[in-house]
Amino acid sequence: MSTETVLRPGWKVPIILGVFSLASLLLFLLSGRQGISVFRLSSSGEAVQLPALELPVMASGIVISVLLIGLAGFSAYRVTRAQRTPLYVIVIFGVLFMVGLLVWAFVDATLPVTGLLTGTVALSAPIIYGALGGVISERVGVVNIAIEGQLLAGAFTSAVVASVTRNPFLGLGAAMIAGMLVSFVLAAFSIKYLVDQVIVGVVLNVLVLGLTSFFFSQVLSEDKQLLNSPPRFDKLPIPFLSDIPVIGPVLFNQTVIIYIMYVAVALVYYGLFHTKWGLRVRAVGEHPTAADTVGIAVNRTRFWNVSLAGAVAGLGGAFFTLGSVGSFQKEMTAGLGFIALAAVIFGRWDPIRATLAALLFGFATNLQNVLGIIGSPIPSEFMLMLPYIVTIIAVAGLVGQVRGPAAAGKPYVKA
Amino acid sequence: MGQHLEDIVKITSRKAALGGFASLGVVTLLAGCGSAPTDDSTKSAASDFLPCMVSDAGGFDDRSFNQLSFEGMKAAAKELGVETKEAESSVETDFPSNLTSLVDADCDLITSVGYNLSAATVESATANPEVHYAIVDDLADNNFDGTTDADNIKPIIFDTVGAAFLAGYAAADTTKTGIVGTFGGMSIPSVTIFMDGFQQGVNYYNTEKGAEVKVLGWDYTTQEGSFTGGFEANEKAKSLAQGLLDQDVDVIMPVGGPIYQSAAEAIIDSKKDIALIGVDADLFVSDPTYKDMYLTSVLKGLSKGVEETVLSAEKGNFSTDPYVGTLENDGVGIAPFHNWEDKVSKTLQAELDDVKAGLIDGSITATSVSSPKQ
Repeated sequence: MSTETVLRPGWKVPIILGVFSLASLLLFLLSGRQGISVFRLSSSGEAVQLPALELPVMASGIVISVLLIGLAGFSAYRVTRAQRTPLYVIVIFGVLFMVGLLVWAFVDATLPVTGLLTGTVALSAPIIYGALGGVISERVGVVNIAIEGQLLAGAFTSAVVASVTRNPFLGLGAAMIAGMLVSFVLAAFSIKYLVDQVIVGVVLNVLVLGLTSFFFSQVLSEDKQLLNSPPRFDKLPIPFLSDIPVIGPVLFNQTVIIYIMYVAVALVYYGLFHTKWGLRVRAVGEHPTAADTVGIAVNRTRFWNVSLAGAVAGLGGAFFTLGSVGSFQKEMTAGLGFIALAAVIFGRWDPIRATLAALLFGFATNLQNVLGIIGSPIPSEFMLMLPYIVTIIAVAGLVGQVRGPAAAGKPYVKA
Repeated sequence: MGQHLEDIVKITSRKAALGGFASLGVVTLLAGCGSAPTDDSTKSAASDFLPCMVSDAGGFDDRSFNQLSFEGMKAAAKELGVETKEAESSVETDFPSNLTSLVDADCDLITSVGYNLSAATVESATANPEVHYAIVDDLADNNFDGTTDADNIKPIIFDTVGAAFLAGYAAADTTKTGIVGTFGGMSIPSVTIFMDGFQQGVNYYNTEKGAEVKVLGWDYTTQEGSFTGGFEANEKAKSLAQGLLDQDVDVIMPVGGPIYQSAAEAIIDSKKDIALIGVDADLFVSDPTYKDMYLTSVLKGLSKGVEETVLSAEKGNFSTDPYVGTLENDGVGIAPFHNWEDKVSKTLQAELDDVKAGLIDGSITATSVSSPKQ
């Protein structure tokens, strides 16, 4: 699976971890916040009720900071032995740092842990779908800047179709078709007519934005009841699994779209790295000439997989309407397609890592919500930047140089 | 040679296709975004007065302040029997060109809807001193010297703090958990003024009744609170509302265009009996989809303000003195309880009438740094 070249690990990771752990220590020592933070693990109405965690701020802060310094030290030790810092160390570090920050922020307040995490899944869902679409498309060698357009087309079409037919499942199907249609244009121009893929993608985003806004103003608002009031998917708790404390309500009391997302992430991962289809896709994206030599129809493979990518991203678009707020709104994707694109790169063109990247963004967004509600001393304009800052730090600081599929962005012309 | 020819043909057709595609994009952009002024003839023109309007990025169909302002102009035009012209903006860069196209269409009074158009309107007004302008929700005072920046702009503004105060009082009286919440679209004066009033209404209730109702999502003293960062009814707004519900809030006032829809969907998901407070229009009338949730709405008489401005301008009484909607002139107020009538306390309406009288005669004060200064 591993496609990265082995590099001698540098000091970047331990230095970053060290800075963050010192920041954490200083935060607790200098701010002098005293009191208790309450982490509520169960909300009323759940089968298993866990007692709320009551954490004394100063003591927990010092324990967490010491653990963080320990992890940074471990990372430094690995570097002296010329070994990479394992990903799990960074993940544990990130989680601990976040817990520390929350303990500090929620002094004398209650943090609804399940609420924070449930919101994270919901906010990440369209990004995860978009990122999956991006991964498939780029792995096969076509840069997909049009994720935003595919999401928006999916959101629009699913709202209209579900509204007219009163059947959300038909809306879901229509969203996939809409995403595919956007992809057809992308595929036709970039594969058949060899137009620069980035330019086609950008233009497609603007085109879909213009079209959906136009139809929203001119058609949908004429008869909102008929055209833009789709039934939403109901939450569908999975028996037993949804009764597990914390994890149950977060992962297994969701709508169908979220369940399809779990399956989609697993399928794309398994498909890309463990099936004949995936091998072909990657071959076409890495070295189309070689793939051609062994008899793979490069352009046909690209065309259909870019279309598949559009269908997956279109599904994500349906989440905006059928999974979230029901009716379609102008520009409702609000740039999440571009965040999905960042997640693809941050996730190194790997569906699982891209999903984690999307979850990170969703978490940061919801964290900002939750912090704003209890009143944080940071101005709200800065708080709104939080998810983007986290993404930039994650992409620039921890990922560093990455290499995408070699032939992504280059049209294949048979010699 | 044949091969070459084929290549040339391919390239040409590619260029043609791209060109066609590009022009399609341009056409769509024109259609969707900065639309050219459209004629809407009503009856035969009795006078040749031409009132015009530019929307902000929300468009005239936002079920909120653009739409209400537009309805105000339409009502005035109907009464006068004149035509109107309007230009819809979809991004901020549309503002100057939309204003220019209305000036070119010989408009007599151009109404800009919203705070965001302030700079563009001042610029257009300075360049065209013979045209009259009105701007909704803004003083057109971008150099902060306390006066309108051009002497042909009439601000149409609303001191909603008093009306929001009443809504806060009603919320505090209605909550069962003792926690009420609010959140906004963006941290701009026309949004935060509602939140200021709301919180003071709750505080007033607390002192009067010895209650301890808490407000989440806004802090009057620091002017900091919860914002979605935009006016889209999306998952962001929904999860923010969800976050308030997680803190046991049972009365929510979302401030900013359509974001109340997200809050309403979060309330549906929670399966609890949560009250929603609307802003700008009486949501019970303008969007009955969620009619059982609306406790009340904070009314901002945009339609009335614009209508009066257009009517007086037609009579030649245009002045640059601001139109200020207040509780006293019924330019702002709160809506009836509608379906919540049976659930609120029997004495609430009477108490609200007393508070309103107190706010008007000055015995109760509601203040906001965002209040229009006259």
